[in-house]
Amino acid sequence: MKRIIHALRTRARNARSDGDRDVGVDRPASAAEALKDEGDTDAIRSDGGVAAETDPTGEYERRRLQRWRDSDFVQSAPFWLPPFLLMGFFVYAAIGWNFLISLTEYSGFGDVDYSTIGLHNYVELVGDAGFWAATRNTLVLLVAFTLACLVLGLSLAILLDRKIRFERTFRTIYLLPFALSFIVTAQFWMWMYNFDFGIVNGLFGLVGLGPYSWLGSPRLVLGSVIFALMWQFSGYTMVVYLAALRAIPGDQYEAARVDGANTLKLYWRVIIPQLKPATVSASVVLVLFALKAFDFLYAIWGFRPRRGADILATKMVREAFQRQEWAYGASIAIVLFIISLAIIAPYLYQQYTQGNL
Amino acid sequence: MARTTLEHITKVFTDDNANEIVAVDDVSIEIEDGEFLVLVGPSGCGKSTTLRMVAGLETITDGRIRLDDRVINDLPAQDRDIAMVFQSYALYPHMTVRGNMAFGLEESTDLPDEEIDALVTETAEMLGIEGMLDRTPDELSGGQQQRVALGRAIVRDPDVFLMDEPLSNLDAKLRSQMRMELQRLQEGLETTTIYVTHDQTEAMTMGDRIAVLNDGKLQQVGTPLECYHRPANLFVAGFIGEPSMNTIRGTIDNDEIVTDEFTYPISADLAAELEGVSDVTLGIRPEDLELSTEKPEDSRALSMIVDVVEPMGDENVVYLRFDSGDVGIDDDQLVLIATIDGISDIADTETVWVRIPEEAVHVFSTESGRAIRNRRLEGDAERVV
Repeated sequence: MKRIIHALRTRARNARSDGDRDVGVDRPASAAEALKDEGDTDAIRSDGGVAAETDPTGEYERRRLQRWRDSDFVQSAPFWLPPFLLMGFFVYAAIGWNFLISLTEYSGFGDVDYSTIGLHNYVELVGDAGFWAATRNTLVLLVAFTLACLVLGLSLAILLDRKIRFERTFRTIYLLPFALSFIVTAQFWMWMYNFDFGIVNGLFGLVGLGPYSWLGSPRLVLGSVIFALMWQFSGYTMVVYLAALRAIPGDQYEAARVDGANTLKLYWRVIIPQLKPATVSASVVLVLFALKAFDFLYAIWGFRPRRGADILATKMVREAFQRQEWAYGASIAIVLFIISLAIIAPYLYQQYTQGNL
Repeated sequence: MARTTLEHITKVFTDDNANEIVAVDDVSIEIEDGEFLVLVGPSGCGKSTTLRMVAGLETITDGRIRLDDRVINDLPAQDRDIAMVFQSYALYPHMTVRGNMAFGLEESTDLPDEEIDALVTETAEMLGIEGMLDRTPDELSGGQQQRVALGRAIVRDPDVFLMDEPLSNLDAKLRSQMRMELQRLQEGLETTTIYVTHDQTEAMTMGDRIAVLNDGKLQQVGTPLECYHRPANLFVAGFIGEPSMNTIRGTIDNDEIVTDEFTYPISADLAAELEGVSDVTLGIRPEDLELSTEKPEDSRALSMIVDVVEPMGDENVVYLRFDSGDVGIDDDQLVLIATIDGISDIADTETVWVRIPEEAVHVFSTESGRAIRNRRLEGDAERVV
């Protein structure tokens, strides 16, 4: 059966390519005839790639080229190929090259020497206490920042979803910090946290506490950074949650009420579980931002953040561009890349199994 | 289980421009323990608002709602011991059927888990959904979701069931089946039920009593047959019954009712009842019109033309008019609707005699709409209604 269809298709294609030939006369009267006709030139092909040899005219080669040119793959290439090549070169090739550099001993001025390739940079990383401190800080920042943003954003969204007055205004106010650049946020919070004149110490002073060195003390600094980032990002989670809350029909609340649930139980058992997709997608964005929080820290301290606020991203830049240990910096970049991948892969896989990718 | 009393319930909404909209206006209904009361009325008549006030989902502007002897006006919804079935079912999409049904018991009672589980299973068996307990709502058909929504209410064994058009999302076949099942369930459970619908068929077939609402005001409370045969006013007369009652406006002139198209002689008996009224509306049910091809021996017969015959199988619905000329649909000339035997040879454009028997005639005051005289019922019918 397959062969009959194949034969018919080939005939149709021939007819199409030779437009001036009389199609009506040429077309076989039945599928069986088509099969017979096909047998003359093409039948052996099903045994493997010997058809070309037995085809004296080169007709088969021509047809195979034609078929290849007609395939969806080739036809659609103008659309996907340019971005595919650009992405492939600038993103994936760059990552590959970075990995290659991380295996060398490239440092200082001069060219990369690819002759001595090994894992020595990674071995060195394992023994580097600064690396472990940076990794720990990265993970703490990531978890605390993400959770804080989710909780605060959810609370704001729930409060805003109660059909309050000036709801749009509040929404804009909360979302505005998200529109600011990291550099601005950093400058802004540097002044807020200023030891002598900062508003934060001023407020604490009112209740007789402090002053604290928010950006100086190794015990406080990570918390201060997380708080500032939370200020910037909770507006984003709020908007995501608000959209998800709007999608939940009002009778869900009413049904739960009539079922005897108090407000806390209502949200905890009925509403928040329905926000799971929003939580997942907001978390992914937040986590990736947390991993890339470099610019915020760099804007405050430059190459060397306070002890206690050094994360992998800042350490990577410092190793590479200050100390010019290019290969060592590259290996930190690879570790960061693997952490990102480990976080985003389950999400992508889940999206894939749900048919969203 | 409890007697539910609505005393002078009023609900006023205030819109953004501070305009007041009276959704429910001074409604008083007493619902006996175990009774099935149907609140019926057209869209926007305030029936759902009334139900939601009983549920505690709307505040009560004025009046009182009592369950037995306790006033529940200020009790939040979660403390009222009421179960509600929503039009959209409002099943929790992230929970299994079991979770949906157990939720109310978990939140409103202190029952141990095993007992809750046993109750859920028992209720599910009663509704024939025991095989679906571990599925989520999006894996169920509309009819099955409907059953789960019912099960979620039944398993709670509440004082009162509230149902807000629970069958309106089902197809016609399933709806009539569920109508029957719901009645059987309610009779078995003997739980006081308030059921809201805009469908007069549901109201007629399901309710122990019907409360007809229009424009926020209670029109009549009575058994289905009472509302049908003894409508309190023109609105109830027109709303209950399918096809609707024919109504003809006229004025009383001695012993006749004069309408634009004909004069209708009335007996001395009836004339006495209509004493002191001048503008009246004559009402007659379609099945009470008597059609014949021969002129009957009665002055209460009119010669009319058959406009359209709608065969329903068991009966024919016949649309009758006076004028033989071609008329548009929007023509406001009088059209009478009659239902006659399914097998009859009356055809379009035929001229027939239509008798309006006086004992079947309702007379309403045109001005107030109030019924002045309802049809006479005799023998068994008199006793039943």
